[in-house]
Amino acid sequence: MNDSVLIDEAAEATRSPRTAQEAGRPALRIRDLNLYYDQLHALKGVELDITRNSVTAFIGPSGCGKSTLLRCFNRMNDLVEGCRVSGEILLNGQDINSPRIDVSELRRTVGMVFQKPNPFPKSIFENVAFGLRIQGVRKRRMLDKRVEWALRAAALWDEVRDRLDESALELSGGQQQRLVIARAIAVQPEVILLDEPCSSLDPISTLKVEELINELKRRYTIIIVTHNMQQAARVSDRTAFIYDGEIIEYGDTDQIFMNPLTKQTEDYITGRYG
Amino acid sequence: MKGTRKWLRNGTPFIWLNAAAVSLSILMVAGLLLLIGWKGLSHFWPHALYEFDYVEADGSRTVIVGQVRRSEQVQYADPEAGEEAPSEPSRGFTRILIETGNRDLAGGDFRWIRADGVRSRATPADLVVVERQEWGNFFGRFVAVDRAGERLSGDAGWTAFLEAIERSRKLQDEIAELQRKVVGRINYQLEKNRLAQRRLVLDGGHDPDRARELEIERAALEREYWASEELLVDLAGQARRDRVVLETADGERIELGLDAVVDTWRPNTLSAIGKLGHFFSKIGYFLSAEPREANTQGGIFPAIFGTVVMVLLMAVVVAPFGVVAAVYLSEYARQNAVTRIIRITVSNLAGVPSIVYGVFGLGVFVYTIGGGIDHLFFEAALPAPTFGTGGLFWASLTLALLTLPVVIVSTEEGLARIPRSMREGSLALGATRWETLWRTIIPMASPGIITGLILAVARAAGEVAPLMLVGVVKLAPSLPIDGNFPYLHLERKFMHLGFHIYDVGLQSPNVEAAKPLAFATALLLITVVLLLNLVAINVRNSLQKKFIGLDT
Repeated sequence: MNDSVLIDEAAEATRSPRTAQEAGRPALRIRDLNLYYDQLHALKGVELDITRNSVTAFIGPSGCGKSTLLRCFNRMNDLVEGCRVSGEILLNGQDINSPRIDVSELRRTVGMVFQKPNPFPKSIFENVAFGLRIQGVRKRRMLDKRVEWALRAAALWDEVRDRLDESALELSGGQQQRLVIARAIAVQPEVILLDEPCSSLDPISTLKVEELINELKRRYTIIIVTHNMQQAARVSDRTAFIYDGEIIEYGDTDQIFMNPLTKQTEDYITGRYG
Repeated sequence: MKGTRKWLRNGTPFIWLNAAAVSLSILMVAGLLLLIGWKGLSHFWPHALYEFDYVEADGSRTVIVGQVRRSEQVQYADPEAGEEAPSEPSRGFTRILIETGNRDLAGGDFRWIRADGVRSRATPADLVVVERQEWGNFFGRFVAVDRAGERLSGDAGWTAFLEAIERSRKLQDEIAELQRKVVGRINYQLEKNRLAQRRLVLDGGHDPDRARELEIERAALEREYWASEELLVDLAGQARRDRVVLETADGERIELGLDAVVDTWRPNTLSAIGKLGHFFSKIGYFLSAEPREANTQGGIFPAIFGTVVMVLLMAVVVAPFGVVAAVYLSEYARQNAVTRIIRITVSNLAGVPSIVYGVFGLGVFVYTIGGGIDHLFFEAALPAPTFGTGGLFWASLTLALLTLPVVIVSTEEGLARIPRSMREGSLALGATRWETLWRTIIPMASPGIITGLILAVARAAGEVAPLMLVGVVKLAPSLPIDGNFPYLHLERKFMHLGFHIYDVGLQSPNVEAAKPLAFATALLLITVVLLLNLVAINVRNSLQKKFIGLDT
């Protein structure tokens, strides 16, 4: 993949220009975020600043709330009955939990990729074009261009260019996951949420997805939830260790893995519990 | 002992029991189909025409011409039929049911004869069957034909007779066509004109211009009507031109106009291929012609047409309603006690006896809604009801109600099978719930929806009881679809295969003659349901293929 492919001027023009001033600020600012499932207090006073155009990893034992936290960023928790959220999540200075926010608009800005690849039972082309069609893009030429761009960006173009009309369900698991990533970036989000994107993939596919993440972080803010400590160490710039709904430690990945400040983090990283 | 215990414990007897039950079911279905098929299809076969030399109970000898229907062993004689008690009552005797035709001459077309009274029986080549418009079949001999005043007999006469039938049939087709297309249209327009005039009167009659206009239109239509009536009379006269002379077995001669003859054949001279040809042409006639003689003769095309149109209309109504209800129940409604109760109620609705739906349809659709529509829009036609009486639309609605639970339940099942990840994937791309539903969920649930429709169609096509209350008739004067605007006449009464079976089988004045028709109609009903289902199953399979591998 080369950089000229990634930079698509037509697509770029559709996005709001980022000022230099904005570029320096964190992409997401989380302040005193609390989340309850009925009586269960699942996230407790989370405070985080997510750095723009970098990869942030959430690690922690199962059930610690890292996926829940991730799903707060595009309000996927709205779908869960009995879920209440308080506190602020600021995206470009706006609180995404405010009732004035258009959730569809938010989800276009904050894309998401799930644990299991979930392509729609449509053709490869239609999968990638889905989000664009939702946005009202009708012109065939525009669709062709954006789909090709997204598939190239997801490092899938060369494998599927001759069979765009075939069903996406016929792709391998790794290809499906990259297709889903292509689908997410086709709508030009600012932030991409990855919820254990490699947990159902074989090592070679995992490697490809990790390379892709490295490539994508030049243009997108990426947040990844992972169970795999090595993966977090390999792909992320910053890491947050979450335990029982609280951020125990948040810092540069190197520092967290080489020189953790708290005993809890060290125990988890070295595999003593979790 | 130990062996038996082991045999019992490993479940072998249970497997055998299951296999036995399955085979029994298959045997029963196959047996049913074979019975219906055999009894129904044999009606169209050109059976041999026998000439019996018969000794009556009183000792006199007669000649009987007829086709053997069946024979049976009886213990006791029926003195009313002139049967003598057998000499040894314990042994009983054999009697044969003969279809003798000639209902107009003999007063009936069946009679029983004793097997021991038959001196001899033969199949003379010159015996003919003449299928007539009235009075059923004629069995006997061909004597001569009058073609345009020229009398022909013998082989030349027979050929001329066949040609004359062909000519008369073409003329009658022409008459029927004219009646359906031209006279039907004129009558329809006349009726519309009459209603328009009536409406004018009801409105107070303050529009003399319009009244004059309508009067002129009516006069023109009537002129047109009389012109085509003249044409019809002329055509009918032409069809009646030729006459045929026939002779029964006991020498009685009758003369028939060729317009009264449908078809003729000499069953005893037909080759195997000829018989097969006759068989298929009779089936074709049965499928395409209209019924005659209180449904005991002719075809059943209007019933096939009515059934298919009604079922399709029902499917068109029930599919959107069922899908919308199911989507609301499983996608939008809050899952609580109320939705649970609604679900249970819907499932239970499927078990309500169908006649109850008929009563509901009659009370609500026909009398209340239909009556209301009549008062609002068809006041000019009152007191004759338009929608306030049973009709195609109300029948379809009633059946749609009847099959609604089936569609709701299977659509809900289809929706429930779609993995959560599909919804999340779509929502995460910025689709609203509606867009997710419309672009992703419903297409994926479509196999389930079609399954529901298949079940609904199968149930609706076979339902008779509710239809008898909301619009099915023994004989409908016209098809629900024709060339007159608005082409699909929802208010018309229609014929239905299921009701036709009931009518022919039980309500017919000539049960013995109609029995094979009841079986043939039953076979046809099964075929129609099967065909409708095959179409739907094909659609579903192609949809399923599209979504194969969908188990994540």
